Amino acid sequence: MTRVSLSKVSKKFGNVFAARDVELSISKGELFTLLGPSGCGKTTTLRIIAGFEYPDSGQVFFDEEDVTYTKPYERGTAMVFQNYALWPHMSVFDNIAYGLKIKKLPKEEIRKKVLEVLDLVGLRGLESRYPLQLSGGQQQRVALARALVVEPRVLLLDEPLSNLDAKLRVRMREEIRKIQRTLSITTIYVTHDQEEAMSISDRVAIMNQGKILQVGTPQDIYFRPKNTFVATFIGKSTLLQGTVVRKDADNVLVDIGSEIRVLGKLTGDSPLKEGSRAILVIKPEDFLVEPPQEPHNVIEGVVEFSMFLGSFTQLRMSVANQNLKVFVDPKKEVKPGDRFVVYVKIDDVLVFPRESEGEVLEVA
Amino acid sequence: MLVFMIIFALVMFSLFLILPLVETILLPITFTIERLVSGVKTGYSLIELFSDPRLFRTYSTTEPVIVAQIGNTTLVNFIGWDFGVIPNTLIIASIVTSITTLLGLVVAFVMARYEFRGKLIMRVIAYIPLLMTPFVNAYVIKKLFSFDGLFSYIINTVLGIPLKINVDRMFGVILTQSMAFWPIIYLNIYSSMMMIDPSLEEQAENLGAKGFKLFRSITLPLSLPGLAAGAAVVFIFSMEDLGGPIAYGFHDVLSYSIYSNIKAAQNIGEVGAYVGALAIVLLALALSIFFGIKKYVSLKQYAMLSRGGRWMPRVRKPGLVGSLIIYLVILPIMLFTAMPQIGVFVTAFSVRWSRAYPEGFTLDHFANILVNPEVLSGLTNSLRYAAMATALIIVLSLSSAYVAARSKLHTLNEVIDLISTSPLAIPGLAIASGYIIMFTSGLFKDTFLDPLSSYGPWLLVVLAYTIRRSPFATRVIYAGLQQIHVAYEEAAMNLGASRLRTLATIIVPLLGLNVLSGALLAFVYSVAETSVSVTIGAVAAGQKPLTAVMLDFLTGGRLAGLQLAAAMAVLIVVTQLLIILVTNIFLKQRYAFIGV
Ligand SMILES: Nc1ncnc2c1ncn2[C@@H]1O[C@H](COP(=O)(O)OP(=O)(O)OP(=O)(O)O)[C@@H](O)[C@H]1O
Ligand SMILES: [Mg+2]
Repeated sequence: MTRVSLSKVSKKFGNVFAARDVELSISKGELFTLLGPSGCGKTTTLRIIAGFEYPDSGQVFFDEEDVTYTKPYERGTAMVFQNYALWPHMSVFDNIAYGLKIKKLPKEEIRKKVLEVLDLVGLRGLESRYPLQLSGGQQQRVALARALVVEPRVLLLDEPLSNLDAKLRVRMREEIRKIQRTLSITTIYVTHDQEEAMSISDRVAIMNQGKILQVGTPQDIYFRPKNTFVATFIGKSTLLQGTVVRKDADNVLVDIGSEIRVLGKLTGDSPLKEGSRAILVIKPEDFLVEPPQEPHNVIEGVVEFSMFLGSFTQLRMSVANQNLKVFVDPKKEVKPGDRFVVYVKIDDVLVFPRESEGEVLEVA
Repeated sequence: MLVFMIIFALVMFSLFLILPLVETILLPITFTIERLVSGVKTGYSLIELFSDPRLFRTYSTTEPVIVAQIGNTTLVNFIGWDFGVIPNTLIIASIVTSITTLLGLVVAFVMARYEFRGKLIMRVIAYIPLLMTPFVNAYVIKKLFSFDGLFSYIINTVLGIPLKINVDRMFGVILTQSMAFWPIIYLNIYSSMMMIDPSLEEQAENLGAKGFKLFRSITLPLSLPGLAAGAAVVFIFSMEDLGGPIAYGFHDVLSYSIYSNIKAAQNIGEVGAYVGALAIVLLALALSIFFGIKKYVSLKQYAMLSRGGRWMPRVRKPGLVGSLIIYLVILPIMLFTAMPQIGVFVTAFSVRWSRAYPEGFTLDHFANILVNPEVLSGLTNSLRYAAMATALIIVLSLSSAYVAARSKLHTLNEVIDLISTSPLAIPGLAIASGYIIMFTSGLFKDTFLDPLSSYGPWLLVVLAYTIRRSPFATRVIYAGLQQIHVAYEEAAMNLGASRLRTLATIIVPLLGLNVLSGALLAFVYSVAETSVSVTIGAVAAGQKPLTAVMLDFLTGGRLAGLQLAAAMAVLIVVTQLLIILVTNIFLKQRYAFIGV
């Protein structure tokens, strides 16, 4: 088991930052996820850890050892590539045995280990097949087995499930989690799917444009986002803009126009003060159609659009000339043009300064 | 319309490729059967073939290396073995294939995986041996490596070592062919290596593989399709090469035996069967290699599973040892292999080459060839033949490419695809033999297809060019067709356009550049064609194509024959360069290279 840490790692391609002052510390045996939109630098960060790219500046440590410029074949990591990178000219057995042959293990031991790992990923019996004769899910498991069998110091997974269908994705991520727990290998997992990240990780790092914006447990990230980017990237929140009217110890009152004022929770050490521009972040499922017991806001607007989505109905409301996304009980009948009132608990409204870190995602 | 295309393609290939080859095969077999049944020898049969000491010997009549001493100078003569026609052919082809594969592999690996100063220049140098200097390059190499040649001069006179070398006969042929053919293998392997998903190698590195182990276990196996295709082409090209055997006077090889017997072909009965028997051997070897490789390559052509990784070719800077190898070993070898072509240019502009190297500068040879009636006739003949062949090739290639790409009958696609690419692998001399056997007797005797009739061989030469060079155009057009979505055509047909109209209004305009490029390539390769040109094409004096005239100049003892032939070769090379330039500009891709 190995601890992995990155210190001030930066990497530029042309004038794009693929990694920018990345600080990470991943504990022994942890399943740590890099989550972020496409092109934010997840793969690059992973490749720096694997040794396929060298950072422009900064260092990479495995435990106390500086491995920043160690060759990939001397690092003892095992990577599962996004496209699996199974060698088409080798059978499943030979693919998996490859790393062990490199380590010059005796033939008998190789055989034993390969069969064991095949059992672990549930592919016993397919060892003489060739990669092209396998389904997507089976290929993915071969790739995983090939990485696991060498008992790597660090396991690196680059969107290992992105080529699978939705159902298989769910099943495989549970299996990966189970195997990782059993073997307790330090694992770095890359994905752009937030649900996947939430469901399997011990901790998650949210990345955008090469920067790490927040690191925390899935609950931290979900309930206590540090900025609007994280808040909107996770949970598909809806946004309202306004001006701070009053600020006290925990709460801020924000005027969003049309004489509607919303009271929300202050986040962290926010620099907000009276008169500054603010953004309110609310999860669409937190809106209520009946006033709750707790302290709450009342928001009134006109329904512009309603769409039945099965377990809930999605509304687009116009509130003070801004769009608001609201999920309501599907049994509630709402028509476009209706005036409509929703309630939201003060604790469910997060207030961020307007010029906060990261770009604001447009959430329709 | 589709039916017309299918019929046209099938008729052309049957009449001018398959049937002549079948007759070639049948003739000696018929004699064999007659011989076995009646015991009477009616013609040259396969029984003679296997007991003919010209063809097979269990011993070599020459020592491969002969050392002599004159004064205090040691003369080393590298001449190679002589085991008779068939073993010689196989020995040469095997050695040439091994040498070129090794060189091609090393250069391809360096080019595909390393980034270094001068790489672009080296990539250009690798194309030089592919410039077409029919026959002349062999004569240039022979001169360079004779006792009085440049290399002996450097060793003996410049370096003062009392040693002179001469490369001749079998070794001369091997040297010449190796220098000329290695880029074919290099280009095939290179394109294979560039197709390898970089993550496949990264994964191996990630699991601890490096250096030679990585190459052995991942890079090489994944490049094998290209390697095999290139090696097959080189083996076949080696067997049918005439330039080397003629230049070095090494006549006991299949190609030369077929050539000399066709040249002497007056009485087709006896000679025809002998030629046929030789052609069978050549054809059988070439076809089994062609089909074997085609099958192997299609099996191993790993459709790369998926392309999720990044497609940045894995190039790195060579270390000190690597750099030394690149600049001190590989670059000199590559320059060395470019020497024949460079030599041809130098010769064409030089007054004489009576000592170690060409001397004096002159443009006279160009002036002379442009007034020489023999040359002018050869030049106009070649241009005419090539132009007519190109016109036919456009129709034939469009037809076969269109059928192969669009017909819904799976077997038909495959058959057409196989037949239309097979001329790449079928030795021109086998085709020439087939034409002689089929069209000089029986049904076709004294018709305008009979090369020995009063019409002369021109039409048959045009048809041979058409068949032999059509694959170049077919491949370019086929590649273009695959990029044109069927929906364009379906949309047109859906609006009521007939297939012909669809072809004329949708396909041809979209394919225009491909057709043009394919036609240009076919044209220049037709001008440079040798096998049919110097055999069938040479039977009537006034109808000889340029390459046959060049051979006359090289072998006929004419004044400044080498320089004049070199000047003609320069004309061909310049045309080739222009055409390759144009097609590269149009298609931004290199379709000009050769593979199965
Ligand atoms: N070799 C390269 N050359 C130039 N730019 C590169 C290279 N590799 C990555 N980039 C750029 O760096 C940025 C980060 O790329 P990276 O592949 O790390 O993103 P990612 O987060 O893995 O994205 P995805 O989710 O799409 O896989 C992108 O803007 C990308 O275009
Ligand atoms: Mg990525």
